[in-house]
Amino acid sequence: MKPAPFQLHQVHSRKEALSLLEKYKDDAKVLAGGQTLVPVLAMRVASPDHLIDINKVEEFKKIEVQNDLLRIGPGVRQAQLENWVELYKTQPLLSMMFPWVSHTAIRNRGTVCGSIAHADPSSELVLALAVLRGTVELSSKKAVRKIRAAEFFIGALQTDRKSNELISAVNFPIAKKDEGYGFAEYGYRHGDFAVVAVAVVKRDDHWRIGFGGIDDVPIVVEVNAASTSKAIEFLEKTSSDIEVREDPTATSGLRRHLMRTLGKRACMQAEEFKGIS
Amino acid sequence: MKNQFVTITLNGQKREASCESRTTLLDFIRHYLGATGTHAGCEHGACGACTIELNGEIIRSCLMFACQADGACIKTVEGISSQDNLSDLQAAFKKHHALQCGFCTPGFLMSAEYLLNKNPSPTELEVREGLSGNLCRCTGYVGIVEAVLEVGKMRLNSKRDSNA
Repeated sequence: MKPAPFQLHQVHSRKEALSLLEKYKDDAKVLAGGQTLVPVLAMRVASPDHLIDINKVEEFKKIEVQNDLLRIGPGVRQAQLENWVELYKTQPLLSMMFPWVSHTAIRNRGTVCGSIAHADPSSELVLALAVLRGTVELSSKKAVRKIRAAEFFIGALQTDRKSNELISAVNFPIAKKDEGYGFAEYGYRHGDFAVVAVAVVKRDDHWRIGFGGIDDVPIVVEVNAASTSKAIEFLEKTSSDIEVREDPTATSGLRRHLMRTLGKRACMQAEEFKGIS
Repeated sequence: MKNQFVTITLNGQKREASCESRTTLLDFIRHYLGATGTHAGCEHGACGACTIELNGEIIRSCLMFACQADGACIKTVEGISSQDNLSDLQAAFKKHHALQCGFCTPGFLMSAEYLLNKNPSPTELEVREGLSGNLCRCTGYVGIVEAVLEVGKMRLNSKRDSNA
């Protein structure tokens, strides 16, 4: 298998990357880790004339904490964030999810922003951004805008990014001391995309429950429940009521069953969460 | 499209060749440099047969372009043993029947070496997780996992002996 010919632009600065995107727009694709894009090119699902390789842009490789946000640059590899010593303290939900994100050799190369850009509805990082109510920063040559996850993911593999824009950062809210987190997933093989994944963020009586793999975008529901059993009751009702995808990998019945069992596990984990300090 | 010169250090030796921008690192190593130990399996990142070490980190060589690796230090399966001798891990693979057709083996060896470097005494679960990105259709993985666990123990013991 071989991609169609393209011109590779190896840029060294943000400015250079944005100028090229402005110039080529839809004829160009941004190449970061390439763990999704390269197979797409190899199978010729896409054959852009230009690839803008941002791997050499040093300013993109930063993990920063700014006020109450964890800001991840577009050059940050998944393994870099996974192995960052402050990660558990800063956002434990991401720490809990990383063992489920693909395989070592893929995480060594794949980027966090790349996963968000790809917007696979079964992706753990996409689910994390949605349930934590994170934001995506999009930069073009002329402007920078910030958009909430709920508005950024508009369909399966579809986002609100314009063709001249680059994801210049994703922002995950950092953990609050009184928040509890839970995460559970089922996939057919370790490291594969989730059939269903459930992430829970709990603060006092407020529960935010996110489901990955059940629809074209992650689905986040919220409820005020005084006890874990009340939250689980709500979860069971939700699992029966909302629309759930059916495809060759799993029936909607199996997915509903997984929403209940994994959801229950994640809720209990969030309840028992010991805190970050 | 214009060809580009790519220079890499392959198993300690400086090598260079010119290739198209669309040439994957895998094809570059196999076809341009003639090092065919690294195998081309699915060529879209699913099987792990093409796993190599790039600047100390394992990656899939089918999922990056040769031009991106210009200047990099690369280790392939040819680099894990000295001359004609089997490395301890290769010998353990032989002993435990951790291969039949051998197609996936170069990838497994690279992933297993990386795993043992990062975690010298892994549990069985950690070995299975560490090797989850590599597919083998012959062995059922049992022999592979046994071989890696045994080498982990052997290396720790010899380290202890040399420290004593």
